[in-house]
Amino acid sequence: MSATTSGAPAPAIRITDLRKRFGSVTALDGLDLTVERGEVHGFLGPNGAGKSTTIRILLGLLRADGGDASLLGGEPWADAVALHRRLAYVPGDVELWPNLTGGQAIDVLSRLRGGVDRARRDELCERFDLDPRKKGRTYSKGNRQKVALIAALASDVEMLLLDEPTAGLDPLMEAVFQACIREAKAAGRTVLLSSHILAQVEVLADRISIIRQGRIVETGSLRDLRHLTRTSVAAIVDRPADAIAAVPGVHELRSEGGQVTFEVDGDAMPAVVRELATLGVTALTATPPTLEQLLLRHYGDDVDDVESSHVEVAR
Amino acid sequence: MTTTLAAPRSASQPTPFDRGRGPLTGFGTLLRFMLRRDRIRFPAWTLGLVLLVAYFANALQLVFPTAADLGAFAAFSSNPAAALLMGPGFGGDEPSLDRFLASTYGMYLIIGACLMSILTVVRHTRLEEQSGRAELVRANVVGRHAQLSAALGVTVLMNLTVAVLMGALLTAMEFDPAGSFAFGASVGAAGVAFAGIAATSAQLTAFPRTASGIAGAVLGGGFVVRGLGDMSAAQGGDLGWLAWLTPIGWSQQVAPFDENRWGPMAVSVGCFILFAALAYALSTRRDLGAGLVQARRGSAGAAPWLSSPFALALRLQRASLIGWTASLLAGAFVYGAFTQAMLEGFADAPPELLVLFGGEDDLLTGYVGMMGLLFALVVTIYAILSVQSLRSEEAEGRSEAVLATAVGRPDWMGSWIASSALGVLLLLVTAGVGTGAGAALTTGEGDLFGEALLGHVAHAPAVWATLAVAALLYGGAPRLVPLAWAVFGYAFVVGFFGPLLDAPDWVVSLSPFEHIGEYPADELSSAAMLTLTGIAIVLTGAGLALFRRRDLTAA
Repeated sequence: MSATTSGAPAPAIRITDLRKRFGSVTALDGLDLTVERGEVHGFLGPNGAGKSTTIRILLGLLRADGGDASLLGGEPWADAVALHRRLAYVPGDVELWPNLTGGQAIDVLSRLRGGVDRARRDELCERFDLDPRKKGRTYSKGNRQKVALIAALASDVEMLLLDEPTAGLDPLMEAVFQACIREAKAAGRTVLLSSHILAQVEVLADRISIIRQGRIVETGSLRDLRHLTRTSVAAIVDRPADAIAAVPGVHELRSEGGQVTFEVDGDAMPAVVRELATLGVTALTATPPTLEQLLLRHYGDDVDDVESSHVEVAR
Repeated sequence: MTTTLAAPRSASQPTPFDRGRGPLTGFGTLLRFMLRRDRIRFPAWTLGLVLLVAYFANALQLVFPTAADLGAFAAFSSNPAAALLMGPGFGGDEPSLDRFLASTYGMYLIIGACLMSILTVVRHTRLEEQSGRAELVRANVVGRHAQLSAALGVTVLMNLTVAVLMGALLTAMEFDPAGSFAFGASVGAAGVAFAGIAATSAQLTAFPRTASGIAGAVLGGGFVVRGLGDMSAAQGGDLGWLAWLTPIGWSQQVAPFDENRWGPMAVSVGCFILFAALAYALSTRRDLGAGLVQARRGSAGAAPWLSSPFALALRLQRASLIGWTASLLAGAFVYGAFTQAMLEGFADAPPELLVLFGGEDDLLTGYVGMMGLLFALVVTIYAILSVQSLRSEEAEGRSEAVLATAVGRPDWMGSWIASSALGVLLLLVTAGVGTGAGAALTTGEGDLFGEALLGHVAHAPAVWATLAVAALLYGGAPRLVPLAWAVFGYAFVVGFFGPLLDAPDWVVSLSPFEHIGEYPADELSSAAMLTLTGIAIVLTGAGLALFRRRDLTAA
């Protein structure tokens, strides 16, 4: 689709100072977010941080209490219908009509959006290994998720809003999903991909925004966010590991016999690898940080607290 | 991330497995839990039924201060029309207020208790399984039969509460104590019997609505079968035994304030035990979450017509419409076919009673006209339920999927309400055809067919107006939709008890169903039809406008 851009295109999503309360609970507390056209943007945050609320406001399903949000150059609440023709949405918790089959649900949702590409739909059913003839109420969570994904991916739209779209998928299907997102990106589509698992977003996203308690706390490319990421390394080495302890950016080094464990800042990795090479490594594992560790380290969050205090918002 | 392992449980601490291994393990906890969940529902249902009887009793005392005023009752109890609608009128030869209360209003209290039981059992069994919550519970230290038993326990407790409170309250109102408690118990007994029936129906299908529907169909079928039996008994026919085939019949055979028989209630309890045992047996033969009837596979794609919000709304209401059409056609035909018997039975009824049918000159047209009102009210139930389904669509997150496509809010809600309005029309036509065909065939008067059809369909604007009230409530705040039942309840009481209780005009005129006229007994008022249609459109429009402005309430 190209007819919609005129002159310098506005960002796909521009949100400034967005606020939303549910009763006494603050779901969004001055959220700012910009997503450029054509990028895959990871929207990362623990459960209940406000991801779904943000997406629902972008869809015009909820009305913001304050702040501005623009989507594909339009206003989410007022222009909802016109905007929805140009985007597709996959909710985190897909509910289907109990009496309609998966195939019927895909067709209905696609048609209501403005038409379905039959061949693409059938191809996606095959790739995701979905039996479209089963009734909605008999699908498992993962299969319901596939139905919503196929309905979204089969549409010829400019933008995909995906709210934890792979929550119920097995690793094989997650790989199919990743391939589909790459194809969407290659076709020039903008993708907003929310998740609470860093590793899921990392492999796909051009840029990442991290939301915490209703605000964006970090945003940038993976490279920009390197300073946040600290990799855990465990190795078995022949020689003493003192040299590694001296590298700036290495933390919490512990050495016991030949076993050495430590954490290393993202930008210190090259130096560490050079030092490791001289130590006669016989076994090596490096574990990327999880979102929870990251938030814990940088914001002092006790993640359990964050989740429990915001869990009502997600209800 | 570092975690400290919990210290191993010391050997002296009891493990949860010590508590028991039987199929009822956890029964007490679950029972208390269900009571906690129903802390509003339980008193609302039980007190609601009890207060209803107090209201009826009080109103009757005001309207009929002396026994002589009850003259109509004698004829009432022996006439087949009353028998069909309300049950056998025991002790009519010796009119008294308490017998009038039991034989006129008992039926509705009994039906109320049955519905209470069906909804409570299904809520705590099949709905829990469908939502997946039962899985959480059953994965805990809970016996195989604990959940069903606790659900039955709660339901029986509700019925006991109704029985005891009703007896106590009527006794306090200086009704005969033995009769009061027999009356209360008869209402509770029917509820208990239906607790068993609902327990079985909840095993048959994986879906709570179907489970309630099956038990509801047993209730409705029982109502008709019992009605035919009572009607036959009132006419001195030999089909009176039909009344003994149904839980409603058993409760009515108690004959409170007259014979106070407790024997028939033993049959109700036996019915409960039988169906509860059947439910336990069936439940061990199926997987958790599954029904005995397996779901079929469907089509791989949607039919070409299924491509607009209106088409989707119709498609989603289709199954319910088909069920309603079939039952209304059958029910209306039975009531229509009864016209001739009614004419004979009423030949010498007193004028006080005939007022309900518009006087004795027009008994035939009065009866057919009253059927029109009766079925219009039944169709109103469909209308309100359909708005409640729209509410479920939203609460269960499916409306979100639709509204995230290029479908605007007024479009979606408007489509749903329009398809409900169309459904209302279809059901009124169906009921009119049923009543008309039944009446025309038994009386031999062919004109009745068209008259009955018109008389039924003419009520459409009143049903639409009630539908629009529900739509307005939905647009404003979905959790208020149940308030629309107040309109239904009001119209029902005014329509069927207003003439008997001699209600003031302004009270009557508040009901949307009292303006159009009960054709063919009354003239139809096209002004009222237009006004009500206008009101329906305005209220729906206001509902749409409100729906546009509010947040979607997601699951």
